[in-house]
Amino acid sequence: MTQYPRWPIHLFLLFVSALMLIPFIWVLKTSLSGENIFSYPPALFPRDPHLFYYVDVWYTIPFLRYLVNSAVVSAIVVAANIVFNSMAGYALTRDFPAKRAMILLFLSCMMIPFQVTIIPAYLITKKMALLNSYLGMALPVCSTIICIFVFKASFEAIPKSLIDAARIDGLPEWRIVLRILLPLSKSAIATNVILAFIWSWNNFLWPLVIIRDQEMQTLPLGLSRFLTVVEDTTGALYAFCIMVLLPGLILFLLAQKEFIAGLTTGAAKG
Amino acid sequence: MAWLRNRYTLTLGSIAVLAVSWNIYVDLNNDGIITGRVVRADQQPVGGATVVVSERSLLVAVPKGRATTNEKGEFRFTGHTLHRLYLEAYKEGVGRMPPKEFRLYFKGENLFIEKPLVLAESK
Repeated sequence: MTQYPRWPIHLFLLFVSALMLIPFIWVLKTSLSGENIFSYPPALFPRDPHLFYYVDVWYTIPFLRYLVNSAVVSAIVVAANIVFNSMAGYALTRDFPAKRAMILLFLSCMMIPFQVTIIPAYLITKKMALLNSYLGMALPVCSTIICIFVFKASFEAIPKSLIDAARIDGLPEWRIVLRILLPLSKSAIATNVILAFIWSWNNFLWPLVIIRDQEMQTLPLGLSRFLTVVEDTTGALYAFCIMVLLPGLILFLLAQKEFIAGLTTGAAKG
Repeated sequence: MAWLRNRYTLTLGSIAVLAVSWNIYVDLNNDGIITGRVVRADQQPVGGATVVVSERSLLVAVPKGRATTNEKGEFRFTGHTLHRLYLEAYKEGVGRMPPKEFRLYFKGENLFIEKPLVLAESK
């Protein structure tokens, strides 16, 4: 068999990766220098970089307050996702009447956009007296169907004999999930943590609908408020974007190995 | 002690160390002192010049303090709470320096201006 050199593929992939990085570099560059996209001559690196736009963001709006609000909501969402999705994922690995119909129902629910259900979601949250609260903000994303299937795929990859052995030893179902399945599904947990965190962190529409109090606003709402306060937005706006992006980016980079493993679990058999 | 070499511990620990170090630095340097010198175009010190520190909002500049230079042309402000400020200097019969922007990394950061403020003759 003829062995083709691999460097052209690597060179091409390197080029594509560099192209994909351009928007990020542009945002970072603008946050450090305030040069907008139309500045001439165009430059890859910032001229006279400084961090003062970040300082402006910090003092123009209550950034720390928004950061804490976003962090609390994301923590609730991440914890709830791990608990509820693992339980639902385990249920879907077991046999029960109408299991196939249940899976179909889950899959069809994925087709419905959140905007369609926003009014009933609002009315339910209001009935539960959770408007303008952390729990109210977290509620609609406390369990997500994609993540349930991530757990299902991960649990199905674990040998049945392990679960049978645990059952013979007298472990109840919830302890089988807690003691046997979850420790063996670290990649599924990492995937859940990252996806739930990013969805909650970037959520704009739902907090906009249910939050009345400025003190309860999260970072995406703070971004829209920031646009109304600052006159010259170019540098400071991009600095704000970097500050909002950074926690999610750090989390993703830290857990990317498990994240990718979690998404590909069950993708191939054997 | 393997958990100490864990990438989560290292990253989050480094962020925590940076945050604590930065806060210590801020606490040691936030007395709100501004010092500098006012000179003529020929670099001769100007005594008795008025220096105004102001904060600029969306539309107007709000004066936050005034100081008068000594015979060596030196001035000093204490207790400012700004992170973006403007300094202007003038002396009747000598000239004035239009507002110049100074940006700081935190509110009340001590600012020791090396380059003197130069009064240009009014035309």
